[in-house]
Amino acid sequence: MAVDTGVIGKVSGRRMVAVERSPVSVFAQAVKDGDRVYQDRRAAQAAGFSDIPAPPTFPFAMPYWGSYPELQEGLEPTGANPMWEVMGKLGPGLILHGEQEFTYHRPVVVGDVLRGEDVITDVYERESDTHVMTFIVTDTTWTDASSGDVVVVTRFNLIHRARKPT
Amino acid sequence: MGVSVGDVAEPRTFGPVTRTDIVRYAGASGDFNPIHHDETFATAAGFPTVFSIGMYQAALLATYATDWLGAETIRRFTVRFSDQVWPGDVLTCSGRVVGIEPSEEGPTAEVELTCTRQTGATAIAATAAFVI
Repeated sequence: MAVDTGVIGKVSGRRMVAVERSPVSVFAQAVKDGDRVYQDRRAAQAAGFSDIPAPPTFPFAMPYWGSYPELQEGLEPTGANPMWEVMGKLGPGLILHGEQEFTYHRPVVVGDVLRGEDVITDVYERESDTHVMTFIVTDTTWTDASSGDVVVVTRFNLIHRARKPT
Repeated sequence: MGVSVGDVAEPRTFGPVTRTDIVRYAGASGDFNPIHHDETFATAAGFPTVFSIGMYQAALLATYATDWLGAETIRRFTVRFSDQVWPGDVLTCSGRVVGIEPSEEGPTAEVELTCTRQTGATAIAATAAFVI
């Protein structure tokens, strides 16, 4: 079965998020990171951060916390996410998070307002004797809303795993 | 801090992982897929019980890595999910420096990181880059 690669290059989502102190501090506690830089602004600044930083994997979670409606005004809507259109055509299967990458251009810090844009960068298929796995890779580029500078790029690799018909 | 190829970090264990750990991460991250906290849902889906959120153990591995080489110097963190993590699991994180590469900011350590279950299975394999 040929997978639909026509979605490669499509923008699949856009959002603005505000990075705030309590979510960052609570996230650090949940991931058992006792570094004081996540709790105490003085410790953060002593370590060279401009404010309390977010733990390395927080960008994966930050749309949950800071996507306030008034921040979204003026963003060009993207409509339905083509990632789910591709997945929807694949039929029953197990959806798995295969890989996740973060590339940091500068630390994400409390006080940031970031603009995230998702682009589908790859779609490919791998087969074993028993299963077909379809991989959909989405890159999200987070830029500083005031300067336009890239802050962090995340890469999300989602897998649809289906048993081959017998 | 001198960092050289072949350097290994002192391993750290996390756990046993509790349902409370998983729920706490769910609340901190917004991942409320019931497969990770709702016993009835998980068993109906054919699993013996709930299982952990992959990004939770990824975050534990990031905690371990930045404790070792610094929160302010991390430049890349890449994880590959392998084995599911279950309540009661004891996770062991380990890491080693596999290369030193030049970058615009100066020498950067390339590190390999693993998070293994008590069974010996790799739950997560990761690579990361830190300016040194």
